[in-house]
Amino acid sequence: MLDLLAQTGLNAVYAASYISLVAVGLVLIFGVMGVINFAHGELFMAGAYAIVALYAGLNVPFFLAVAAGLLFVGCLGLLMEKALFRPLKDNPLGGLVASIGFLMILQALAVMGFGVRMVHIPPVTQEVIAFSEKVRLPVARLYVIIAAIVLLSALWYFLKRTKFGWALRASAQDPEAAALQGISITQTARIAMFIGAGLAGIAGALTAPLVSVNPHMGHSVIVTAFIVIIVGGVGSLEGAIVASVAYALVHTFVTTFWDGVLADIVGLSLMLLVLIVKPTGLFGSADRA
Amino acid sequence: MLLEMKNIAVNYGKINAIRNISVAVPEGKIVTIIGGNGAGKTTTLRAMSGMLPITAGEITFEGKRIDHLPAHKVVANGIAHVPEGRRIFPDMTVEENLRTGAFLRKDKEAIEADLEDVFKRFPRLRERRTQMAKTMSGGEQQMLAIGRALMSKPRLLLMDEPSMGLAPVIVEEIAQIVEEINANGLSVVLVEQNAELALELADYAYVLETGNAAMEGPADELHGNEHVRAAYLGL
Repeated sequence: MLDLLAQTGLNAVYAASYISLVAVGLVLIFGVMGVINFAHGELFMAGAYAIVALYAGLNVPFFLAVAAGLLFVGCLGLLMEKALFRPLKDNPLGGLVASIGFLMILQALAVMGFGVRMVHIPPVTQEVIAFSEKVRLPVARLYVIIAAIVLLSALWYFLKRTKFGWALRASAQDPEAAALQGISITQTARIAMFIGAGLAGIAGALTAPLVSVNPHMGHSVIVTAFIVIIVGGVGSLEGAIVASVAYALVHTFVTTFWDGVLADIVGLSLMLLVLIVKPTGLFGSADRA
Repeated sequence: MLLEMKNIAVNYGKINAIRNISVAVPEGKIVTIIGGNGAGKTTTLRAMSGMLPITAGEITFEGKRIDHLPAHKVVANGIAHVPEGRRIFPDMTVEENLRTGAFLRKDKEAIEADLEDVFKRFPRLRERRTQMAKTMSGGEQQMLAIGRALMSKPRLLLMDEPSMGLAPVIVEEIAQIVEEINANGLSVVLVEQNAELALELADYAYVLETGNAAMEGPADELHGNEHVRAAYLGL
């Protein structure tokens, strides 16, 4: 029993890792751009297909392919900023609708390029860290966990300790006042889109060998990410991380001990509960909700 | 003239917010713009700092055209704007707010020295340096907004309603600060609802009425003017 608990805990940490990478990117984009990026799940999907094309297709070394995936999806983010969100700057609903259109384009491109079937990706490593007979962590999952810890810490440092990080937060909190300090809102929007999209891309790239890669894989990811950012408090990065961990724990444990459908129900019920008790989310403040 | 605004018009959609306004700010002086609600005071100030596009006229600062520059480029030319309602960054600490004011500067040592100056001028900000800005009182937030503007090392400071919503004691404190800052050589454009305070502080004043300049003159002269006394000083 203890083994099962420990194993489920490890699984939850893995789930929390890629969920928080996706959710934090979504929150960052929402904070700075004021747009809910519905295409965020497809950015995750695009990262996974970068691995399909480069690692599975062209035999590029895995980590090089992951880095390329990060850059590629980051650039997709820049494209979205320039082509969709900047022209629709004064129209947040327009930005949202445009991102839904972009989601469909990305899905269609994935279908055209790779077909609708699930793609098989050869495992990156078969190595497993065995804590005991029954408690085992595949190294491929460990990569995702390490990436989440390193990237989110780096993001934290960037936002709290560097000038451009302050500029990003200032633009998120009051774009007009930020411009009065000499901050170019277009520039901070670009930075936010690149980082936010890149985080989704790297999450997709690193998990690609571990999940079934298909053009619609972004769907469940974004639903989870939405739940997480609502529970955490829209606009709060801390909230997104804490809620990712909490959601992953609950979801993984319920899935393991009961079943997956019940886990979805429990997850959504928790979201409702949080919204009833604290409508701004765990870390949200009233003035920014 | 440090700053010169000639025959400026600004439209909001089809509505003329200001029609034909000229303002000149001499080096080292305090110039105030007073007038009732909706007269165009804030619009005039926002046009100066590039936050609103002008539809006619021209603005020069130190002899250089600055109209058509976006707000973040106007700051680079040496104009800092303390906006109406203070607009500090609520979820950033006091120190982060101040350092963000120095965003465009690269002179690290001078930034540290200026931060020290701001802390000397506003000891309350030093005490609260690691506190989130939103947790401070209105007066403290106003001081933070002024401090943040000073951190850009401006040659002209635009202030929009610094007295708004503050207790009389605090207003007095803010007024003193404006005088001190100006005494140190910084030119100021002050937009105020509180005409009494504004005319007391300023060297020169403009009175706006419905988007036009109704009157201008040395502040003490306007203070004695019958119309101004009746319309804006409630005397």
